[in-house]
Amino acid sequence: MDNIAGTKSPLTWAVHISVVVLVLMWVLPTFGLLVSSFRTGDQIVSSGWWQALTTQEQQLSPIRIAGEAVAKDGAFVIEGRLFAGTGTVLSRWGTSSIEPVAYEAGQVADLGEGVALTVAADGAYALTSAASLEGVRLPRVFATAATPPEFTTKNYDTVLFSPLAGQTVFQAFMNTATVAIPATIIPILIAAFAAYALAWMEFPGRALLVAFVVGLLVVPLQLALIPLLQFHNWIGIGKGYLGIWLAHTGFGLPLAIYLLRNYMVGLPRDIIENARVDGATDFQIFTKIILPLSFPALASFAIFQFLWTWNDLLVALVFLGTGNDQQVLTGNLVNLMGSRGGDWEILSASAFVSIAVPLAVFFSLQRFLVRGLLAGSVK
Amino acid sequence: MNPAFQAMLTIGFGVGGCLLYFYSSNIFLDKVLYPATGPHAGRNINRANQIRPWLFLMPALVALGLYLAYPVFATAWLSLTQDAPGNTRVFVGFANYAQMMTEDKFWESVRNNMLWLVVVPAASTAFGLLAAQLTDRIGWGNIAKSLIFMPMAISFVGVSVIWKLVYDTRDEAVAQIGALNAIWLKFDGGIWSVLFVKVVPGLALLAFVAALVWVAWGLIRDLRKGGFWGLALRGLGLAVLAWLIWSSVSGLWGLVSAVPPYGVAQTWLTLPFYNNFFLMAVLVWIQTGFAMVILSAALRGVPEDTIEAAIIDGANPFQIFFKIKVPQIMGTIVVVWTTITIVVLKVFDIVLAMTNGQWQTQVLANYMYDKLFRANDWGVGSASAMVIMLLVTPILVWNVYNVRKEMR
Amino acid sequence: MKTRLIVSTGVLALIAGGAFAQDLKFPVGEGAFNWDSYKAFDDATNLEGTEISMFGPWRGEDQVLVESMLAYFTAASGVKVNYSSSENYEQQIVIDTQAGSPPDVAILPQPGLIADLASKGFITPLGAATETWLKENYAAGESWVSLGTYMGADGAAALYAFPYKIDVKSLVWYSPDNFTDAGYTVPETMEDLKALSDQIVADGGTPWCIGLGSGGATGWPATDWVEDMMLRTQPADVYDQWVKHEIAFNDPAVVAAIDEFGAFAKNDKYVAGGTAAVASTDFRDSPKGLFTSPPQCYMHKQASFIPSFFPEGTELGTDADFFYFPAYAGKDLGKPVLGAGTLAFITKDGPGAQAFIAWLQTPIAHEIWMAQSGFLTPLKSANGDLYANAALKKQGEILTNATTFRFDGSDLMPGAVGAGTFWTGMVDYVSGKTAQEVADTIEQSWPK
Repeated sequence: MDNIAGTKSPLTWAVHISVVVLVLMWVLPTFGLLVSSFRTGDQIVSSGWWQALTTQEQQLSPIRIAGEAVAKDGAFVIEGRLFAGTGTVLSRWGTSSIEPVAYEAGQVADLGEGVALTVAADGAYALTSAASLEGVRLPRVFATAATPPEFTTKNYDTVLFSPLAGQTVFQAFMNTATVAIPATIIPILIAAFAAYALAWMEFPGRALLVAFVVGLLVVPLQLALIPLLQFHNWIGIGKGYLGIWLAHTGFGLPLAIYLLRNYMVGLPRDIIENARVDGATDFQIFTKIILPLSFPALASFAIFQFLWTWNDLLVALVFLGTGNDQQVLTGNLVNLMGSRGGDWEILSASAFVSIAVPLAVFFSLQRFLVRGLLAGSVK
Repeated sequence: MNPAFQAMLTIGFGVGGCLLYFYSSNIFLDKVLYPATGPHAGRNINRANQIRPWLFLMPALVALGLYLAYPVFATAWLSLTQDAPGNTRVFVGFANYAQMMTEDKFWESVRNNMLWLVVVPAASTAFGLLAAQLTDRIGWGNIAKSLIFMPMAISFVGVSVIWKLVYDTRDEAVAQIGALNAIWLKFDGGIWSVLFVKVVPGLALLAFVAALVWVAWGLIRDLRKGGFWGLALRGLGLAVLAWLIWSSVSGLWGLVSAVPPYGVAQTWLTLPFYNNFFLMAVLVWIQTGFAMVILSAALRGVPEDTIEAAIIDGANPFQIFFKIKVPQIMGTIVVVWTTITIVVLKVFDIVLAMTNGQWQTQVLANYMYDKLFRANDWGVGSASAMVIMLLVTPILVWNVYNVRKEMR
Repeated sequence: MKTRLIVSTGVLALIAGGAFAQDLKFPVGEGAFNWDSYKAFDDATNLEGTEISMFGPWRGEDQVLVESMLAYFTAASGVKVNYSSSENYEQQIVIDTQAGSPPDVAILPQPGLIADLASKGFITPLGAATETWLKENYAAGESWVSLGTYMGADGAAALYAFPYKIDVKSLVWYSPDNFTDAGYTVPETMEDLKALSDQIVADGGTPWCIGLGSGGATGWPATDWVEDMMLRTQPADVYDQWVKHEIAFNDPAVVAAIDEFGAFAKNDKYVAGGTAAVASTDFRDSPKGLFTSPPQCYMHKQASFIPSFFPEGTELGTDADFFYFPAYAGKDLGKPVLGAGTLAFITKDGPGAQAFIAWLQTPIAHEIWMAQSGFLTPLKSANGDLYANAALKKQGEILTNATTFRFDGSDLMPGAVGAGTFWTGMVDYVSGKTAQEVADTIEQSWPK
């Protein structure tokens, strides 16, 4: 909407602001996940992710005194620190869940039976006891403290390197790429030919075939699994890579044909007519004119098909197998969550680990999503 | 054989095989079967041209027939049969369908699916179009597009955690981990609360009603066009719009008169009726990226000359958008709308993971999943799958209509 | 550039790879294990070169544990085991058996599902010898045999599944320090438990954390509550009739049991977050309320697997402990215990699969896992001293001393109810419906 006169209109500012609002609305939830992936599981369920970004004053969960008793000045002393990092400032503390704010920082509390405890503002504690502390249950400290933002890369460590996943992340990436790349490339070619026929060739039943293809988009995946696995077993390819490539090709064809056809219909009729007049066969027109001009549509379908096969787990489990060495990345990530799931911090980190490749694919294919190529070709 | 090596071989064979098939079949057709020379040249060329489309279509049709059409028939057969002892099935006619229609949850699913079908494709396409248009000419457009596209790239487990961190509810006394509740608890009934909880949503709802009235007016004006089908579809559209306008107006009234429960953490996903919209927000959030990518390519394809001519004629940006750009990309809008509609018909993991169809949020695809793998009732499950597939018929009709229009 | 990328990744792929092999965790011959049984099995079984595929519900850390046990099986018999798992294992096993590519052995926690597979002829019966062995060697052997006995495709009842790893469910978890701080004692009877709950409310606290959320399985913790209540208000054979549908689901006995659960869950003052939060709180998040400051609740009823969801660093025995969910002193029904577990069955017969079932009959197969964590067994000849910690030993004793032991009812009921309407019915109950309404709906949904 550049105006010809050349001055920046207020409309441009409105556009920029609206885009910022739109982007913020879409990105904030994901940003929450990003922040959560750097927190521990306990942190995620006890405070909101926005609170992790600033210093928060809160009542912490009880921390039990731990350490070796040292003989000092005729008494047994256990010293230590409540908080692992620095920067936490304790304001009040207590030893009982009923009175968590009984004492101030630095105050000495008498816990009875000759035991005394003091906790300083930086979390350093000293427990003194006249008698031996062998076998005695040590007290807990309830601290009210201002904790600075605390982040950890442990989740990414677990996702990338934990042996609990069943195989290395690298192996999983390789397996997933092995599934995704052929499953993206093969449907494109088959669909391109079909789309051209449906877009530019005249034959009876064309409209109905288009409807047939669209209708097949709606077939629920779960119902195709058993008949197709039976079929694969029957023809002898069983579970394996060939099976999953064929399955993904079949499942991805309707969308491919639909998107490609729609794009090809929009190509200028004149180019094709002129080529026909010049004596080109349909095959030549297709390979030399249509296919190169359709790159934007091919690229956009490639993005979506790659995404779908990359993030898919169900088709992989059914057609590829559940064994560890055939596992795809999503399978790895499910394994890390253990038998009952619920590790929100692992989920967050794994979501970002697995998003890296699809986003890279999206970025690299973005430059094809321009149709400026067409503008000059008619003339 | 090492899988990566196998993959490269397969790509090579697949691509090469395809090209070989197409090339050789075309050669065969044009040179051997119906050569364009000799006494019957004219007739041969015609025959060749009649057969050629099917050559181009054959691999796709084989794959589609096997991988998608065959399961449809298998499903239809399953829906007409029931489990019998010893892993066999016995034909029972429409008994499964009859049983399915007696279940409350089925009708609830149908109603909810209708709601989803009205809201999600429209919202995703609208936001996608908006995003595509706005990011078109600005310098950081690519980055903005990638950020709006990102939700599509996140796997479903990531999405479920993201929205758990938005909708979660805790007791008011402890810290909230759900963003929505954290914002809600900040409202206390004062001036800002009235502004954000009543005025802004009220204005948005009014704008929505105005847009609906404008669309309805367009439909009424063109009511006579298109013959019988045009009248029927427009009538249906008007009925839907009337219902939407009615519910929006009563919603507006409810908004003004109700006393919101300030200071009480809401369990968003259990609020009757509104929880559907919270679930829909997740799908709209994801699908907008899809709409945006496709519509962005289409917008870029609108010839510059038409736009320049309009600017010279003094059109403002809004007129250019609605009167020039949108009509030219209408075909793509149909494609995007159709695809998202079909995605909506198939969506079940959002509902499964967040509410499992409880609190009146059940949808057909989740109902089908429940019947298939929990209740192990493949008869009723397949019947509900057939219903899902039938629901796509209006979209099919619209597409056939569009294709016929292009052909003219 | 693209080809170079493809080639280089291809080369890397050829170099990469590698499995995580398992060595034997405890050296053979050392420790209080039953090495005689190991040697006897070793001598008797020699199937070098055989490979079997196994499908189970254990992933992550649990997978490491089961593979440590399987390493011994491989060492003793020569059979290589390819263990795998899947999140939606019910879906996976149904698809694999129906499509004709089943694993050799499967281990699953749902007897109802296994019964379904047996009736379709997908499972091989284990034979009369195994049946006798179970009767003689498992505590309360008869009930374990009936747990694994189903109707086959031929219409005859036979033993199809071998119970292997058990979870005890009738446990209430609490923080001993919080109890001491407030001056509470562990209740021994249900009447005392209710009095304690009232006491906590009177003192200004909240007694219970209850969370039913579980994604697609939301509602299942409530079924455990109702089943435990059923065992504490009715004799054990009424429970059996309920599970087998010999009495209707909306029988007054069942409705009363549901209301017993409601006495806890539908009392706004009893539950952290109030009744509204019960159905929407995730079951994995709710026990954390025991350890906050101030404590959101004092007690949480859940099965023996829940410690893996306690905050990191929580020590069992010091920071968290459990007591038996008590029975009514007034009713004379003993100390019933509700449990769940997994059963192993053969989906593709072969010498390797048969050898695995024979392996499960040796004490060593149980002891390897017992000595590590999270494993309970009713096998009488397994050495109870080998339990990894005092908590497990306590649970093991609850298991062996139970006057009545019953398996989780919802796992025994047909899928449409046990994994469907029972769960959703409980959510409806907590969200406001009456017990009678909910029981009627569930009764209607029972497959004819």
